Amino acid sequence: MSENIKVSPWLDSSHKPYIEIQNVTKRFGEFTAIDNLTLDIYKNEFFSLLGPSGCGKTTLLRMLAGFEKITDGKILLDGEDISEIPPHLRPINMMFQSYALFPHMTVEKNIAFGLKQDNLPANEINQRVEEMLELVELTDFANRKPNQLSGGQSQRVALARSLAKRPKLLLLDEPLGALDKRLREQTQFELMDIQEKLEVTFVIVTHDQEEAMTVSSRIGVMDSGNLVQVATPAEIYEAPINKDVADFIGDVNILKGIYKGQNEIGTQLLSEDSNSIVFATQDAGASVEDEMWFAIRPEKLEISRTKPSHNHNILKGKIEDIAYGGSFSTYHVKLDNGKILKAIRANRERTKEHHLTWDDEVYLQWAAHSAVVLLS
Amino acid sequence: MKRFGAFNIFSLIVGFSFLYIPIILLILFSFNESRLVTVWGGFSTKWYGELLQNQGIKDAAWVTIKVAFVSSTMATILGTIAGLVMTRFGNFKGRTLFSGMIYAPMVMPEVIIGLSTLLMFVALAIDRGIFTVTLAHITFSMCYVAVVVQSRMSSYDDSLTEAALDLGCTPFRTFMLITLPIILPAVVSGWLLSFTLSLDDLVIASFTSGPGSTTLPMKIYSMVRLGVTPEINAVSTILVGVVTLGVIAASLIGRRQKQQILKTQHT
Repeated sequence: MSENIKVSPWLDSSHKPYIEIQNVTKRFGEFTAIDNLTLDIYKNEFFSLLGPSGCGKTTLLRMLAGFEKITDGKILLDGEDISEIPPHLRPINMMFQSYALFPHMTVEKNIAFGLKQDNLPANEINQRVEEMLELVELTDFANRKPNQLSGGQSQRVALARSLAKRPKLLLLDEPLGALDKRLREQTQFELMDIQEKLEVTFVIVTHDQEEAMTVSSRIGVMDSGNLVQVATPAEIYEAPINKDVADFIGDVNILKGIYKGQNEIGTQLLSEDSNSIVFATQDAGASVEDEMWFAIRPEKLEISRTKPSHNHNILKGKIEDIAYGGSFSTYHVKLDNGKILKAIRANRERTKEHHLTWDDEVYLQWAAHSAVVLLS
Repeated sequence: MKRFGAFNIFSLIVGFSFLYIPIILLILFSFNESRLVTVWGGFSTKWYGELLQNQGIKDAAWVTIKVAFVSSTMATILGTIAGLVMTRFGNFKGRTLFSGMIYAPMVMPEVIIGLSTLLMFVALAIDRGIFTVTLAHITFSMCYVAVVVQSRMSSYDDSLTEAALDLGCTPFRTFMLITLPIILPAVVSGWLLSFTLSLDDLVIASFTSGPGSTTLPMKIYSMVRLGVTPEINAVSTILVGVVTLGVIAASLIGRRQKQQILKTQHT
């Protein structure tokens, strides 16, 4: 992240947002794709729109690019209302999911295409194309046609082409979706490097939550045309706003129960699953006897065969399944009522040493501050 | 590979013989020395020489080429636009009616098209000539171009157009620089198709032509009524040659384009 993003401009009211999406609604006939959505994005952010397919994230991106007309509301870029500006006049470029490389042009011509539309002098175009080719390390491929490139190379040409005009804002629609896992991870870091180097604001659409966590300054989680939560990756993971977000981002165990008020440890919940009281330090802000949920990430559950000495935040169960993942193992622990919880344990010693195996009676415990209280 | 049975081979031979032996005979006898069309009198190209002397046939050929060239060019422009509209504008109101009207000439009897266009020209008091034949040919060959272009456009990635717009290209330039070059093979094969259709049309031309605008097929037809001459064989051979070349070119272009699409889809 570049220098000025480290100060989290979204927390500082003196910072002016770079992109202001104000009460935007988009309807396709009867169907409402985006429902009165408001969002501010700041300069040099790497902002991710994350959500299941059909949540409206791509529609929002296409409205920023100008391919979809806004039904209601407006979008401002750097203080200027761009809602009515057609796509070819917006200082915004987009990288397409299918890359959309022009098949009848060489790599070089593809990258030069946008610059030529601006009638720049030939030597400046050549210089910029060269810069871009260097940036994405494709100098040797300048004269290839798109059908002679691999998936990863095509992706980099598409990126170079969309960056060549030095847009104020770069939109990326599932930019890494077509790459295999290893290449995707490598490219994520390249994207971050490039974004830092060029100081362009990135808005990326993805359904891959890991990708969003890795690259973003902030994530906007969307569902049925609305933003559910906008926060940094860590906040979204550690403090999801509701069950859906908790479930969508990473693995999670959710305990349902009845709110029993606060005490000196924190919020008390009578768990349906263990019929005992569990605690979280977080203030619930609910009234007694309300239905409520606790979310605990699997890596925050401690699994052991010996009964802990204290007696709160403990669940007893049996190991149902073990998924050995090399550096860690995931244990599926079946509680007495049949509910299965996931616990992740880092394999700090070799598996032989700790003797946790199928059908073992185990205790799951967690610190009161690692559970999240959810009201919906 | 599955082998053909004796019966299949037999029917294949009979079928193709029925279709092509007359044409082969026609071509053979155009090189006949003798004036009699059914008696072989040795090899000669004299009837082709004779053709060059026949002002009537030369005029008709010139008219045909002019009509075919202009009508296929116009039909290609209009047909391409129609094909684009059908694929790019989604389900607009009246789409079914629109596509029905575009494709109707393909199944409409030629006599009906010829007759109705004739009636229209009479009603509008337009003198019949090269202009009216050309108009009629544009009308019936446009639908073939529309079909070819539409089938190409159905595998065209719309984000190519969006990418060009996004990079600051105006909609018109986007069409000229991106869409048209990509669908060009389809457009060219549509042009060749309508060119050959116009070249060998007899019925519609008979209805819509006037004095001085006799096309080659019409000329051949009227000559045959006075008896088949080797000259007719010669001119028909040339016509067959041109049409065959056109069709082969169209299908070669079509095949190359299909391979290109496959190639881009693989990567």
